[in-house]
Amino acid sequence: MPESAEVETHTAESLGRWLTECVASHLERPADTIDASVPLSDYGLDSLYALSVAAELEDHLDISLDPTVMWDNPTIDALSKALVEELALNN
Amino acid sequence: MTTTIPSTPDGTAVDAAPLPDPRALDRLLAESAVPGGAFSPAVLADLDAREAFPAEACRTLDAFGLPRYYVPVEHGGALDDFSTVLRLLRAVSRVDLTVAAAHGKTYLGAISTWIAGDPDRAARLGRRIGEGAVVSCALTERHHGSDLLAGEVTARETDRGWRITGEKWLINNITRADLITVLARTDPAGGPRGFSLFLVDKSRLAPGALTPLPKVPTYGIRGADISGMVFHDTLVPSDALIGEVGRGIEIILKALHVTRTGCVAMSLGAGDHALDLAARFTTAATDHEGVPLAELPHVRREVGEATAALLLAEATGLVAARAVHALTPEMSVVSAVAKAYVPAQVDDLVARLLHTLGPYGLLEADTHGSFAKLERDHRIIGIFDGSSLVNRNALVDQFARLARGYRKGRLDEEGLAEATDVRAPLRPFRPQALSLLSGTGASVLAGLPAAVDRVHDLAAAGAASDGLARLAGRLRQATDRLHEEMAAVRFTPRAVPGHAFELAERFELCFAAAAALHLWLHRPDRVEEAWLRGCLVKALTDLGEPVEDSAREDLDTLADALLSAAPGTVPSLLDSLEGTVR
Repeated sequence: MPESAEVETHTAESLGRWLTECVASHLERPADTIDASVPLSDYGLDSLYALSVAAELEDHLDISLDPTVMWDNPTIDALSKALVEELALNN
Repeated sequence: MTTTIPSTPDGTAVDAAPLPDPRALDRLLAESAVPGGAFSPAVLADLDAREAFPAEACRTLDAFGLPRYYVPVEHGGALDDFSTVLRLLRAVSRVDLTVAAAHGKTYLGAISTWIAGDPDRAARLGRRIGEGAVVSCALTERHHGSDLLAGEVTARETDRGWRITGEKWLINNITRADLITVLARTDPAGGPRGFSLFLVDKSRLAPGALTPLPKVPTYGIRGADISGMVFHDTLVPSDALIGEVGRGIEIILKALHVTRTGCVAMSLGAGDHALDLAARFTTAATDHEGVPLAELPHVRREVGEATAALLLAEATGLVAARAVHALTPEMSVVSAVAKAYVPAQVDDLVARLLHTLGPYGLLEADTHGSFAKLERDHRIIGIFDGSSLVNRNALVDQFARLARGYRKGRLDEEGLAEATDVRAPLRPFRPQALSLLSGTGASVLAGLPAAVDRVHDLAAAGAASDGLARLAGRLRQATDRLHEEMAAVRFTPRAVPGHAFELAERFELCFAAAAALHLWLHRPDRVEEAWLRGCLVKALTDLGEPVEDSAREDLDTLADALLSAAPGTVPSLLDSLEGTVR
């Protein structure tokens, strides 16, 4: 699992890369086979399992998230954008 | 004479009748158990044999005012403490599980409206329940079992409201119900945001809008109304929608975090009943040489172990019900532990008592077949509101977070103290604090190392025995090792390895033992150490940890407590912790 940097400015792009790595590791498949615009459920990441990915996101970003953020933003692209907005709100 | 009817802020009248005293329910149940009474063993056995609904018993509970405890105070009811509901449903279950499942279903059926419904709708529902309305909850369908996301019943919005189409099946009380909470697909594509919840009021439907399906014959709770319902493009008003469109799965998962504590109450009552019947038989019967069963070492040991098992289950259930208020954001873990552990524990103690006492004629001596009935009836509790498998899977999904939280000692100290001190006032339940994932982890376990240190301090000061300190230390070691193993579990979606389920079972055992330890530490006088030692011996044994023979003698102390108790009573933590006798 990629480790969180000490001080890091998160952008939609950097979050997208981190998320792709994270999801790829859970699905045990190469990161370059994951399309950020395809719903994660299409790769077999079911809705309850997705909640535990939200737990990793919380720890990586050191913020508190409603885990249903995974349900409201079913693709990596949508999730990255939502997280950037969430981080802006937190700061 | 004029009466002033009190009003809620929105102007609706509330029931002015005095609140029923929850402790009076035990008296009422005892009075109704006389020959011919609604709760007499003969009457209940006859209904079961005829697969007939226990209508008179349910009417007795309605007249008592039990339904008001299913409605939160803010919606006009009497519910301000979920451990009171636990106590009440347990009392009914101690006599008959069919009645408890039939009556308690309203508590389960209404909860989504308390969690997500608008206040006016909730107040109206609260009033209806106070007047005796039955509420059911229809989630499952014939071909999809526990897989809610596969549901095919649909609801589509029209300019006059919503139209619901399809069949719900294997639903408790759906035919008898006045209102039904229904989960329906509102997005053809489905998914976790593709379903919504509706509160369908049968009295507001056009004729022919629903067709009830025949009662399904069941192995246990034979008299219950387990049936189904076909919705024929049923038009319901716009305000039938509970919460927002697309939030149905989220709302119902959160509702289950609360209602699972109600299922636990049913298991505890069945466990009480089983122990009481076993104790009465053990004190009365002899073996073929005329030796009283109560003097046979292997019988005493088994009865003692069953008592310890029920005390552990009670500790788990009590802390879980208090956690609804005090550790609300952790309920995804706490409710899964309680629902997986308590029914399995009670199934196991019933089976073991039957194994030990059956050869001496336990079932033959039981005139009304009550033991055999509770054994059958209780099997369903493990399946209600998510099976043990579903709940253990929910725990496994949170292993990484739980292991990290334990390692870092992450806990909600204040919430833990409130959940585990039965004398502490409970804060009001805040449904909006429920979360599908516990942010903290599990405070009950993260707080174990400090609790064990406290036991060691007490032992050093002579205020606790060395034996207790040893057992507590061993629990801590077992819990440490468990969390290391949990941290090492890796799996891809839908491929949970088998051994992860074993770890989940060990997690439940550690949780139960930790709950008992916290409860004991909050006792002001911390006497009656034997029950705690008995609980720890039982939990460590089930965890596969070594326990000395001398420590097992505490199980015999528990056997003595059970066998010397008055008929109709079994040793209870609540009695011990509150210093009351039931």
